[in-house]
Amino acid sequence: MKSLAIVIRDDSYDKILTPLVFAYLASAEQTQVDILFVNWAVKALTVEGAASLRMDGRHAADEAMVRENVAKAGLPNDIYEILKALKASGCVNFYACSLAGAIFGVNEGNLIPEAEGIVGASWFLNDKAAPADHCQYF
Amino acid sequence: MSGITATSTLDTSGKCCPMPIVETNKAMKALDLGDILEIIATDTGTQKDIPSWCERTGQTLLSMTEENGVLHYHVRKDR
Repeated sequence: MKSLAIVIRDDSYDKILTPLVFAYLASAEQTQVDILFVNWAVKALTVEGAASLRMDGRHAADEAMVRENVAKAGLPNDIYEILKALKASGCVNFYACSLAGAIFGVNEGNLIPEAEGIVGASWFLNDKAAPADHCQYF
Repeated sequence: MSGITATSTLDTSGKCCPMPIVETNKAMKALDLGDILEIIATDTGTQKDIPSWCERTGQTLLSMTEENGVLHYHVRKDR
């Protein structure tokens, strides 16, 4: 697999881990990974938003246990730290959906420096997702 | 054990996916062609992940052994 495109919509702490882990694995074999953050997940591309991610609903009470086990597994248990590690791999690009940014309050002023920028979904779907070897939606 | 002499050793004991693969990738980058990395792991997922990673990245898995729940891999850097 040479390229992987991922669209992340779900912003709960536990559910956002899976696509980020998949991206980390793909980067370890030099696969180019492009990730578009849409809907509430776009807030993960801000320092405050990444720090505010929590587990939802019936799993909320287990958050401390999950964070502890994430750390035991060897991953940073802070989402921003994971994003920084992915960026440092040199194979992973983050994009904020422009509509999501407008709705949920993410702009060039609060976007983390590890993100490539705010982009239209059409561009991502046509230029990144369509040509990718594999595309995943979370 | 395998009798293979490793150039260096990476101990991922206690860590789980994706870290054994991520750390293996980083460790291999620091090696020269022909060097052999010994990887120690306790994540049973590595039994599939490491051979698969080797195949896709052009490295050679020389051995894979298990003793008392601890997995040992020897991987030669070929690319």
